[in-house]
Order: sequence, then structure tokens, then C-alpha cells
Amino acid sequence: MKRPPAVTDLIDELKRLPGIGQKTAERLSFFLMRGKAEQANKLATAIQNLKEKIILCSICHGITESDPCDICSDATRDHSQICVVEEPHDVYVMENMGYFKGVYHVLMGVISPLDGIGPDDLNIEMLKEKVSKPGIREVILATNPDMEGESTAVYISKVLKPYGEVKVTRIARGLPVGSDIEYADSVTLLKSLEGRLEMR
Amino acid sequence: MALYKTRAIAIKSINLSESDRLVTFMTENHGKVKCVAKGARKIKNQFWAALEPMSLIHLIYFGKEHQSLFRLNHSDIIESFQTIRDDFDKLYTGIYFLDLIDAMILEGHREVKVFSLLHQSLAALNQQSELEPLRRLFEIRLLSLAGYQPQLEHCVLCRKAPQNGLISFSYAHNGILCNSCCRRAGSDIQFSTGTRNYIKKLLEVEIKTCERLKFPKGQTDEIEKVTHRLILSHLGRELKSYPFIKNMAEL
Repeated sequence: MKRPPAVTDLIDELKRLPGIGQKTAERLSFFLMRGKAEQANKLATAIQNLKEKIILCSICHGITESDPCDICSDATRDHSQICVVEEPHDVYVMENMGYFKGVYHVLMGVISPLDGIGPDDLNIEMLKEKVSKPGIREVILATNPDMEGESTAVYISKVLKPYGEVKVTRIARGLPVGSDIEYADSVTLLKSLEGRLEMR
Repeated sequence: MALYKTRAIAIKSINLSESDRLVTFMTENHGKVKCVAKGARKIKNQFWAALEPMSLIHLIYFGKEHQSLFRLNHSDIIESFQTIRDDFDKLYTGIYFLDLIDAMILEGHREVKVFSLLHQSLAALNQQSELEPLRRLFEIRLLSLAGYQPQLEHCVLCRKAPQNGLISFSYAHNGILCNSCCRRAGSDIQFSTGTRNYIKKLLEVEIKTCERLKFPKGQTDEIEKVTHRLILSHLGRELKSYPFIKNMAEL
């Protein structure tokens, strides 16, 4: 017996989501079907709101409901310190830390020659414009410490070189907190030695 | 379920599901293989640095024979070629090498010579400062190992030795043509005897000393045109990483 089209449609749509296959989509569909209508409506409204209300901040390119975003429009934050991240969700990872009080700049990707993504496909020109204005003290490059992230950081540091008065820094790489030195690989150990700090 | 141990170089690494990675390796004993590294993106994962493209590693993986996807069991860095990662020109040349291997080499075939070419070329890239001869050497040697070595000794159609002066070359026939065959079959490009001799040298010279091959200015472009067009005609497409070498060198 064929499934009703309403169920098939929902399964097909859920299958498009990352990490969800046929079985999980079926399980989720039947869970929603059995549940209260109010619960399903809430989910539908949340998805709809996400698409209707969420926009990209015109200053940092982070996700927001109002332009400029809460971080860019917050006068108490240090606007002379810009943290450069790869994706909008990285902003929230950094914010969860609760330590950084500067502002962000989202690149919307990284330079990836194997995928044909070059500097022109990223928000690098906009970063140059920001840095060219007076009042910027430091640019912190917080891209991932992998090949693409590293090469993007090197590229940005090169294009920002003409603005000599702006300090360009890179987040430290090394041993994660709570790890065991015995299992660390040579590259990670080397990076942790290079980035060592004097004990205070 | 078999366990495989081999030296390998990661050539491509893409994110898979929540925290996994799908890594393509050029291995010494089993050719090109794809492995799933479970939890490789988690911050405390020990595979993390070893799965970065271009690193030479000891690799242990398992799976059924003749299957196309394996599971990574262990990886240890032997050499990370750190100098390549710190220099733009070297980095993009290395990425171009990996892209070429990925595009030209099929999975599941033992390719000891291809692994050796890649390993030696990355070691040379880590050391050398003059990169043009190395790029051309890698292109022509990989073409040759993939079975596309151009015929440069005699006419590819009638086997007559070429006369001195300009030599006609046909990409379709993958070799040089004598004057009469050229009139009949038509050629795609003409180059000097000097260029032909340099290409022949690139096929023979030791990789670690190829930096000493000094191409005269005019011949650098000519050699690049020949090797690059050969790759284009065999692959049927331009590699995404190729324009990066040119664009990034300008920085």
C-alpha cells in the first residue's frame, strides 16, 4: 500500500536535511503525525520565521533579525577590534566563550583551490574597506587551523599589510584543554611550542 | 575484514555528517583509496593534523577487499611539509599536484611510482625556491605514469626523425609530426628543438635536482603551454586549482 502523499512529501523534504536519511525521515514524519497539531504548527512556524525574519547583517555578515545586528549596533563593544571568522555560526561559538568584547567580520567561506573558491568569492574587500577607516586597532584571524583556513589567514594578513598601523593577529594553535600530551601529533606539539606564553 | 598498513599522503579531505571526514589518500601499497575518519573533526581527535592534505603519514585502515570506502583506524604523521604551508606559491603548487593526482589516477590500482613521484615532488617543493621546473616535471611525469607520455623522439605517424628547427606537435596523436604528416594530419602547436630537449630532460632528471634546470624565458611559456595543453586534452577540463598558481603568485 502506498503512503499518503502528505507523508511522502514530508519524508522527501526531511531527507534533504544534512545527516537525515530515509529511515530517520520516516521516524520523524511518524513522530510528527502522532504528536499534537500544536507541536507540528510550532515547528512549521519556527521554520517559516527562520526564512522570513533572518537576514545577513550589512556590516559583519552575521545572521540577525535586525540590520545592523545586536553586536554591530552595541556601543559598549570595542569596535576597534575585529574578529574574522569563516561562517555566521562561528560568531555564536565565539560569543559562547563570553570573553571577546570586540566585533566580528564573517568571510562566508574560505579560499579553497580544490573547490575553485577564490578571494573574490569571499567578503575580503569589505574587510579591507573597514580596516582602511580610522579607529581600527586589531584584526584577529579566527579561521579554522586547517589547510584552507590557514591559507585564507595568510592571504588576509598579506592584503592587510599596507595598513601597517593595524595589528593583524592569528588565534593560537596547540593542545586542547584536558588532552594528553602523549597522544598529541608532532604538528600540534610544534604549534603549541611556537605559541607558548610566559607564566604569569 | 582486512587491515591495511601503508605510508600515504592525504590528497583531499571533505567534511562528512556531524563530525566525520571523508579523506582521499594516495597510498604507497594500495593506490588511491577513500577512508571515512569517524569523529575526525572533534577537537580532541588524534587524527586531526594527520589528515590535512599533503602530509606524509603512516596509515592503518580496514574494510572488505574490493570495496570503495574504508574506515580509518590510525594515522601518524611522518612529515608534514610545513614550509609548503607557510608559502603561498608553494602551497598552491602543492594543491595543484594533489588535484592532478585526484583527477588522473583511478582508485583501486597499485601505483607505487605515482606515490613516489608525489612524495619526492612534495619533498622538493618543501626545499626548492625555483618552482617552475618542478611544476612542469610533475605534469609531464604524471602524464607519462598515467600512460599519456608524448612521443618526442620521432614522428608519431610515420616514425621519421624530426628535422631541426620548429617541431610540429599534435595533441590528438599525442606526439610530434614530421613535415609531410603535419601537412596531412595538421598540428596543434609548434615549438623549438630546445623546448623538446627540455621536456625530454624533465622526464629523466632527478626530482630533487630539477631546480638546476634553468629554462630560457621564451621556453618557459612554451613548455608550460605544451604540458598544460596535454593535461587539458587528456582530462577534458581545466583543473580548478590551476588558475590559483597564477593569481596567487601576483601577491
